[in-house]
Amino acid sequence: MQLLSEILLCPVGALVLVLLIPARAVQAIRWVCALSALMAGVLSVQLWRTYDAAAGGFQFVEIIPWVEEVGISYHLAVDGFSTILVMLTSIVFFTGVLTMWDLEIRVKEFFAFMLLLVTGVYGVFLSQDLFFFFLFYEVAVVPMYPLILIWGSGNREYAAMKLVLFLLAGSALLFPALLAIYHASGLGTFNMILLAQKAFDPDFQIFVYPFVFLGFGVLAGLFPFHGWSPTGHVAAPSAVSMLHAGVLMKLGAYGILAVGIRLLPVGAVYWAPTFATLAAIGVVYGAFVAIRQTDFKFVIGFSSVSHMGIVVLGLNLAVLGKAGQDALNGAVFQMFAHGIMTALFFSTVGFIYDRAHSKTIADFGGLGSQMPRAVSVFIVAGLCGAGVPGLASFWAELLVFLAALKTYPALGVVIIVGLVLTAIYVIRVFSQAFFGPVNDKWDDLRGLDLKGWQILPRAILVAVLVYFGFFPSALLDVIDGTTSTVLTSFR
Amino acid sequence: MDTLNLILATTFAPFAAFVLAILFLMRQPRLAQVVVIAGGTLSLAGAVSLLSAGPVEPLRYLWFTSGDIQLRFGFLLDGLSLMFGVAVALITLCVMVYSLGYMGHDPSKTRYFAMLALFEWAMLSFVYAVDLMQTFIFWELVGLASFFLIGFWYEKPSATAAAKKAFLMTRVGDVGLFIGVLMVLQVAGHFDVPGLLATEGGLVAQATPAVLTTITLLIFVGIVGKSAQFPLHTWLPDAMEGPTPVSALLHSATMVAAGVYLMARLHPLFMGSETTLGIILIVASMTALLAATMAMVATDIKRVLAYSSISQLGFMLLGLAAGSLFAGVFHLITHALFKALLFLCSGLFIHHLETNDMAQIGRGGGRRMRFATAGLVVGGAALAGIPPLGGFFSKEEIFAALGHDGVTLFSVVALLAAFLTAYYTFRMIFLVTRPQQVEAVDVHGDHDRAEPLSMALPVVLLTVGAAVAGFWGGDIARGLGIEAGHHSLAAMAPALAVVALGVLVAWLDFGRQTATRTGFIARMPALERLFTNGWYVDAFYDAVIVRITMLAATILYAAESRLLDANFDRLGFGVLGLGSGTRRLQNGWVQFYGGWAVVLVGLAAAYFGMSD
Repeated sequence: MQLLSEILLCPVGALVLVLLIPARAVQAIRWVCALSALMAGVLSVQLWRTYDAAAGGFQFVEIIPWVEEVGISYHLAVDGFSTILVMLTSIVFFTGVLTMWDLEIRVKEFFAFMLLLVTGVYGVFLSQDLFFFFLFYEVAVVPMYPLILIWGSGNREYAAMKLVLFLLAGSALLFPALLAIYHASGLGTFNMILLAQKAFDPDFQIFVYPFVFLGFGVLAGLFPFHGWSPTGHVAAPSAVSMLHAGVLMKLGAYGILAVGIRLLPVGAVYWAPTFATLAAIGVVYGAFVAIRQTDFKFVIGFSSVSHMGIVVLGLNLAVLGKAGQDALNGAVFQMFAHGIMTALFFSTVGFIYDRAHSKTIADFGGLGSQMPRAVSVFIVAGLCGAGVPGLASFWAELLVFLAALKTYPALGVVIIVGLVLTAIYVIRVFSQAFFGPVNDKWDDLRGLDLKGWQILPRAILVAVLVYFGFFPSALLDVIDGTTSTVLTSFR
Repeated sequence: MDTLNLILATTFAPFAAFVLAILFLMRQPRLAQVVVIAGGTLSLAGAVSLLSAGPVEPLRYLWFTSGDIQLRFGFLLDGLSLMFGVAVALITLCVMVYSLGYMGHDPSKTRYFAMLALFEWAMLSFVYAVDLMQTFIFWELVGLASFFLIGFWYEKPSATAAAKKAFLMTRVGDVGLFIGVLMVLQVAGHFDVPGLLATEGGLVAQATPAVLTTITLLIFVGIVGKSAQFPLHTWLPDAMEGPTPVSALLHSATMVAAGVYLMARLHPLFMGSETTLGIILIVASMTALLAATMAMVATDIKRVLAYSSISQLGFMLLGLAAGSLFAGVFHLITHALFKALLFLCSGLFIHHLETNDMAQIGRGGGRRMRFATAGLVVGGAALAGIPPLGGFFSKEEIFAALGHDGVTLFSVVALLAAFLTAYYTFRMIFLVTRPQQVEAVDVHGDHDRAEPLSMALPVVLLTVGAAVAGFWGGDIARGLGIEAGHHSLAAMAPALAVVALGVLVAWLDFGRQTATRTGFIARMPALERLFTNGWYVDAFYDAVIVRITMLAATILYAAESRLLDANFDRLGFGVLGLGSGTRRLQNGWVQFYGGWAVVLVGLAAAYFGMSD
């Protein structure tokens, strides 16, 4: 079996095993998940190291025809983008399993749904067949509903329903658009690589592109269709928030890239100014709204709207030509950096919440002296969010800002000024919850700080942020070649 | 050792110490101290041997490529960076050693020393950076480390607030700098500092005058934030909430000096734009004067020094903007020494007498602390510009540069500021050393030796440094590749006169036996109020800027919850409502179904019948 199928098999195999293991053997279930995640991680790193960045293009191709009458095949391949997104998924998957190690309620069902979700995510990043792409996309989205409804907290029924309705509305836009692309090509195949070579009628592209963009954009937290995301983050259990904000939102951005920009370049160029503006509004708007939040998770939720706005902005600037290379490199880099960063955020906030049963910022004060390790980890994530150099996000933001400044100077200045807003909401959380006079109410948390293996998932995420903060070329070299290939149709 | 290894050791030794301390030595504070001080010593040794080896060709290594952008990591080892690197490493080491005593009883010593090491790494990497983006990165990291140092006592709300303010206000400046740096890339296509400064093919040649003015002004915005110039200066006095050794480090040779250093580094670019220079002259002279007026009414010894830092930074920028690289850099270095000294002396008083108030320090018997008092007098005299101490010669250079085109408004303002400097400095010295009466015993307990060796040693070293720094002018000028001019006594006369006048007035107000010990400004209550309230700049920020930002956030959050979210909810519940409405039709009454069937069929028949 080949590498990509092996990666995909990790969660699938674990899912089968978990279903077979009796529900009371919780320890076995946890270990199966952790080992499958670890294996997927090792394979992803192998993929990252062996993907030939200099050659670029699609590699590790596997094609098995399935329904030949309509041209559906099991078709896996990766380019530079999906290589690093697969790695992102593996890191969040592994650290997510470790974060949920202490879960006691319906362990088997939880991990089964989580594995299903992860399968869907890997499937989207690996598939080069439009049918499978959409199938995996839905597989990734649907488990969110039970995961939030059963294991969530707070207003979970509302959050779960809101999330599903928004995302299905997105899918409702997507489904006809994808079928239209299939029919209009006249090729009788769902092979995305072949479809990308077909030059669709410009009017058709301009008509269909908004369906694709908005359909995927909902999942990417695009303003003004982001409402599901903060509520969803807040209600979901830690690992689900991690996967949700860390990986799932990237599916939306990746969909825009893989289907929208690749297959419908003319449409993408036509709509780019409009959607770039929308994304830029999201960047500043999300930051402003985050300043006013009183709940840790809502701050992170709205910061995700703001940070994903940078990704979507980068995607739109990419097709406009002036600084396409930087914009697209930055957008993909930001997908990775933001994924790791939010995973770290939610992993830590979840940890604090599980012990304090509060995520209201004003409840705390001086938590730094009670839980120094958890707080330090949160501070690293916060600084990454504020775009401090030395952490991965800095490079992503640098590249997108540079492109914005070149393409639309005024818009560039506005989003760079937005950096101050980001600093405000991050520092505000620090000074209200972590610094200041110690609140005696939480003195019993002193013995409950991160310790032993609980440090592991957070340490991995911090290490990844710092590593790529200092050695951005380890990612950029993989991304850059693919960016050039994608952008050839826009020069 | 070859240059590369030497410079790597110099910059990365503190980083290694930071990583070791923060990850492994949280529970062994003594070991952490040793590791950090070893790192600092290594850095100083490295910086000194680099300086003695003299300038070399820049070292450059590819960091990453994205499209046609190439980012390099490297070291620019010319006279300016080599000299300033030694100043930074020396003062950091002094502060580290001093902290052994000052922070001896603090429970979070490891965190403190780790952050000092992080700070030194960022600052030295900033000083030696060869690439403008690298400069920006470490500039930001300097800001980050100072955020942690200012807010070190995070349980104190005032310290947390001060750290937050410092981070956010310098961030405002950094946004300008960031845009400026990105514009440099757009114009020049690279970030290489020597390349940008080159007379042929450099940025001055590449950019149109308007673009060059924009770029330099944007960079200057960053400098205004970092070097605490008007109107972004208000974070600096508040930053005195940090431990005193931190103030000595941040507000003398490092963080705030970074802005001046950046301007010195990019001096040829600034020289290319008359407009920018004019604006800098205005801002810097305003700052020098305004901050001096605030220093003359402050009662907290650290605040006096803080305002004095702001004012002196204004002097340095004045020198640079008047066209003299030498004047700015010379004053940067002498100021680094005497200001670090003054802060460390104030720390001795504060540590032993547990008060920041100058009059109380005097009454508490501050003058009996010999090292601190000697340091205070020497450092103060240097700050005031008494010959032949450090500050006199360097300030003289600034006046000479300003007076180059005859007497201008700027030289008059600078003289006025120099008068106030001499006045407030000697006010401080007299309040501490000539109290009306000394209370019999020390007010607060004698729990320690007043001046332990670890704290006295750096003070003595810096006292000597501040005393002799004035004679290094020739060497510094040579290091910069400039011929230092000699000034006639006549040219020095105005500056000497205002300094003498300042000391005299301070003596009349605070020094002599019969002095009232209130400043002459008390006779002008309106002005005194203005100065005490820092010209109401902070009040303006609170009332306008902060309020507008929070209002915008509130409005947008209201839009989010009441407009966007509420309408999507309405849509969802509307669909639900439609469902409930339709459900009522499904009521199980056969008569109801039959009735509707008849009506509908009848309507359909009528419709089709009519259309025939």
